[in-house]
Amino acid sequence: MTFNTATRALLVTASLAICFSAAHAADSRKEARIDIAPGGTVNIVSGGGAIALHSGAGHQLLVSYTVHSAKIEVDQSSSDNKQRVELLTHALPGEKPTADEAKVDYDVTVPAGVSVNVSTTSAPITADGISSDIELSSETGQITVHNIAKSHVHVRSVTAPVTLQNVTMSRVDIQSTGGAVQLKNVNGQRLAAGTTSGNIDYEGDCSGGGSYILTTHSGAINVTLPATASVDLTARSTTGAVENDFPLQQKPHISFVPQQGRSFAGTSNSGSSSVELQSFSGKIRVKKQ
Amino acid sequence: MNCQKFQETLPYIIESGGGGEDDSHLLECESCASLVQDLRYIAEQAKLLLPMHDPNPRVWNNIEQSLHREGLLPEGRMSPPGHTQKNSTSQTQAKSWTPLGWVMAITALIIFAALLINYKPKSLQQTTLSAQNSAADSTQFNSDDQQLISQLSQQSPEAQRAYEASLRDVNAYIADAEQAAKSDPSDASAQELLQNAYEQKEMVYQMATARSLP
Repeated sequence: MTFNTATRALLVTASLAICFSAAHAADSRKEARIDIAPGGTVNIVSGGGAIALHSGAGHQLLVSYTVHSAKIEVDQSSSDNKQRVELLTHALPGEKPTADEAKVDYDVTVPAGVSVNVSTTSAPITADGISSDIELSSETGQITVHNIAKSHVHVRSVTAPVTLQNVTMSRVDIQSTGGAVQLKNVNGQRLAAGTTSGNIDYEGDCSGGGSYILTTHSGAINVTLPATASVDLTARSTTGAVENDFPLQQKPHISFVPQQGRSFAGTSNSGSSSVELQSFSGKIRVKKQ
Repeated sequence: MNCQKFQETLPYIIESGGGGEDDSHLLECESCASLVQDLRYIAEQAKLLLPMHDPNPRVWNNIEQSLHREGLLPEGRMSPPGHTQKNSTSQTQAKSWTPLGWVMAITALIIFAALLINYKPKSLQQTTLSAQNSAADSTQFNSDDQQLISQLSQQSPEAQRAYEASLRDVNAYIADAEQAAKSDPSDASAQELLQNAYEQKEMVYQMATARSLP
């Protein structure tokens, strides 16, 4: 029995398709449109995988998720008044999925004005352009927030690195024990970032007349400001070093006695925003952009 | 004489009894005096191993006969000193040097020599330090922390490690901040650090207990 070239190619393609299908038999992708009231909240609880949040129009959540094993499922539920939507990932009864089997990849488009709460163990979370309050929590998965305005952003992590970029006119609270926190062009009424051992890097103008408080135990704090920054700045470390390369004018009155190499204070321009940098043993450095 | 020089001459001191500078160092240095005392004790015990008593002659005879039967020993090869004559007296046998006695004596001497050569005073200090560290480790976590870590260990070893490290860091943060606040109670900055440290711990607990929910 002989085959011509076209038949052979067809057989090979068919074999590959069968193998591919078998390999991905456990993957299951689903999409859903879920009604949600203006001002409502969506709660997402997941383990591993990845979670991507985008902004969208209308009054529906567009939810797409891929489950990587038959041992896991996603429960969707809504309150009667559509104010609350839950997306809960859980193992099926009697199943003990591995970390890989427990992964679920979410892609959620969120209407304007709908708040989002996400809680994961290892899934990286990305939120882009959300125009409402967001609360993100991950133990080890990277948390990234981009292009958000006039929101309240609340981030918590154990060792997960946290990156915020272009978050403006917002209130931002970040807590991480071991994760590094990177903030670029983040401003608003209030920015509070606290770590235990993670470094905190801030690059921006601290505009908006707000209060900027960066605190750490043993991590480093690096602040890079443009010459136009209008700040009233204090930096204090209990046992760590403090360095300043940014031109500051001395304040006539400060609430503590500055110690060479351990603390400094000063203002630039009109000093409209308050900036407090504080560490126990971590090095604090302020420099000019 | 310092400890290092003294310990270089330890084999001579144990063998000859020392004297002069060695004795004066022993009077000054409690650590070296203790070491010499221990080594002398070992040496005394080693000596006791030397005059080993033979096993009953029947044991040797049985072994010899078995080896002959197996063809593993030519005639007359086996008998150790004191056993060439089956009729030798028990008194002679008791004072003889059997292979077992030799082995025990040589082993004792090797152990003794190894102790002398390898002894380093730092090892004592390291033992003390590691004991202190172990004590410190056990006090790093209070009972609530230990309970939380135990619960996490049943869920995921990775989570256990992450939270254990975080709790250790946060507890160190709290301890440092408390000390700073105590040393200057009027320092608002120290109070803020302390508050932040407790908030960190609160967050760790909240996240850990949230993941514990079914």
